[in-house]
Amino acid sequence: MKITALLVLKAAPETTDPVILANASDVSHFGYFQRSSVKEFVVFVGRTVASRTPPSQRQSVQHEEYKVHAYNRNGLCAVGFMDDHYPVRSAFSLLNQVIDEYHKSFGETWRSAKEDSAQPWPYLADALTKFQDPAEADKLLKIQRELDETKIILHKTIDSVLARGEKLDSLVEKSSDLSMASQMFYKQAKKTNSCCTIL
Amino acid sequence: MGSAFRDRTAEFRSLSQTLKKIGAAIPSVHQAESDPTSSKRSSPGSSRSEFNKKASQIGLRIHETSQKTARLAKLAKESSIFNDRTLEIQELTVLIRNDITGLNMALSDLQTLQNMEIADGSYSHDKVGHYTAVCDDLKTRLMGATKQFQDVLTARSENMKAHENRKQLFSAKNAAVDNQNNAKAVPEPPPWSSSSVPSGNLQQQPLLPPVNSGASSGSQLRRRSAIENAPSQQMEMSMLQQTVPRQESYSQNRAVALHSVESTITELSGIFTHLATMVTQQGELAIRIDDNMDESLVNVEGARSALLQHLTRISSNRWLMIKIFAVIILFLIVFLFFVA
Repeated sequence: MKITALLVLKAAPETTDPVILANASDVSHFGYFQRSSVKEFVVFVGRTVASRTPPSQRQSVQHEEYKVHAYNRNGLCAVGFMDDHYPVRSAFSLLNQVIDEYHKSFGETWRSAKEDSAQPWPYLADALTKFQDPAEADKLLKIQRELDETKIILHKTIDSVLARGEKLDSLVEKSSDLSMASQMFYKQAKKTNSCCTIL
Repeated sequence: MGSAFRDRTAEFRSLSQTLKKIGAAIPSVHQAESDPTSSKRSSPGSSRSEFNKKASQIGLRIHETSQKTARLAKLAKESSIFNDRTLEIQELTVLIRNDITGLNMALSDLQTLQNMEIADGSYSHDKVGHYTAVCDDLKTRLMGATKQFQDVLTARSENMKAHENRKQLFSAKNAAVDNQNNAKAVPEPPPWSSSSVPSGNLQQQPLLPPVNSGASSGSQLRRRSAIENAPSQQMEMSMLQQTVPRQESYSQNRAVALHSVESTITELSGIFTHLATMVTQQGELAIRIDDNMDESLVNVEGARSALLQHLTRISSNRWLMIKIFAVIILFLIVFLFFVA
C-alpha cells in the first residue's frame, strides 16, 4: 500500500495545460536509471488527469498498475498516484488535507502562476512519507483498526476470566472438602477427649 | 449468555439437617414453635407447591412459544417467491398470538395468587422475595418472547415488500426506460443486504445484493443489463449524472464506515457488560471460598484445643495412675508378705 507521488496543480478551466504548483514523489523503489522517466511520467499523467477533472469533482483513474486519484476544488487540483491496495477513501481524505494545507500556506497566490514552480514544498514530501500508511490519512480507518485491536484484547480478557472462573470453581470445591475434613477432625478429637476421663 | 447457576440444594439440605440437630439440643424453645410451623407447613405446603407448579407450567409454555417463534423466523426468512408458505406462516402467527395472550392471562393469575399470599399474613420475607423474583423472571421472559415475535413479524413484512418489488420488476421489464431507471433509482434494500456489511469501494453498490435463490440471480442479471443500457442512453445527457453517483459512492463509503465503527463500539460495550457480569459472579465464588476457609480454620482450632486438653489430661493423669499403680503394687507386696 504505497503512494508513489503527490501533485498539486492549478487546473485551468480553459484548454491550457494545468500548471504544476508542487510535486513530491517517491521513486526510491525504481532503478536508478528509471527514476527520471518515472518522474516525467508522473508529471504528464498528472497534468492529463487534472485537465480532465471538472471542478468540485473527485475522480479515480486506473493507469497501468497505478490508481490516480484526483480532486479538483475551485481550480486547485490535487492528484495522487497510489497502488491498487490503497483504500480510495483515505486517498481522497489525504488529497483534501493537502489542498487545505496548500490554501493555508499559500493563500491565493497560486492563481497567478503561469509556469511550473520548481520549489519543493516540504509539507508535501512529509505528507508523502507519513501517509504511506493509509490509516494515518483516514481517521475512520485508524479508529476502526484500533477498535478491532481492542476487541481482540477484550476477547482474550474474557477467555482469561473464564479460566479464572474455572480455577475459582476448583478452589471452592477444595475449600469445601477442607472444611468437611476439618469438621470430621474436630469431631474425632472431641470423641477421643470424652471417653478417657475416668482414668 | 448462559448464567452459570449452581445447584446448591444438597448443601442447603445438609445445612438444614445440622441445624435441626442443633435445634434438637435446645428443645424447649423451639418445640413451641415447631408445632405451629409444622401445621402451617402442611396447609401452605399445598398452595406453595401450587404456586411452583403454576410457575413451572408458565415457564414451559413460554419456552414452547419462543421455540415456535424461532421456527416462524426461519420460515419467514427462507421463503422465496415460488415456494410460498404464507398459509403456514399465518397459521403459526395466529397460534403464537393465542399462546401469548394465554400466557399473559396465566401470568396475571399468578400475580393475584402472589398478592393473596402476601395479604394472608406476614410471611417470611424470603418467601415473598422468592415469589416476586419468580414472577418478575417470568414476566421478563414473556416480554422477550413477545419482542422476538414482533421482530419476526417486521422481518416478514419487509420480506413481503421485497417480493412485491421484485415481482414488479419482472412484470415491468418490458416497460419504458424511465420505468427501469425509476426502478433502479428506488434504492431496493433487500433485508439481508442491510444486515450484512456491504464492502466498500463498489460503484454499483446499492444494486448488487448478495444472491440467495435462482430467481433473484436472474433479476440481478437483468438489473446489470439495465445498468449497462442506462449510461449509453444517458451519455447524451450531462456527464454530471455519471460523476454524481461516484460522488455519492464516496460519501456512502464514509457513511458505511461510520456505521461499522458505531456497531463495533456497541459490540465493545456489550463485551464489557459481559465481562462485568462474569467478574461479579466470580467475586461471589471468592467470598464463598473465604467463608469455607474461615470455617475450616475454626474447626481445626477447636480440634487442636481438644487434643491439647487430652494431652494435658493424660499427662496430668499419669501422676495419679502412677500413684494408683504404686498402691496396687504395695497391696501385692503386702499380700505376698502375708502368704510368704
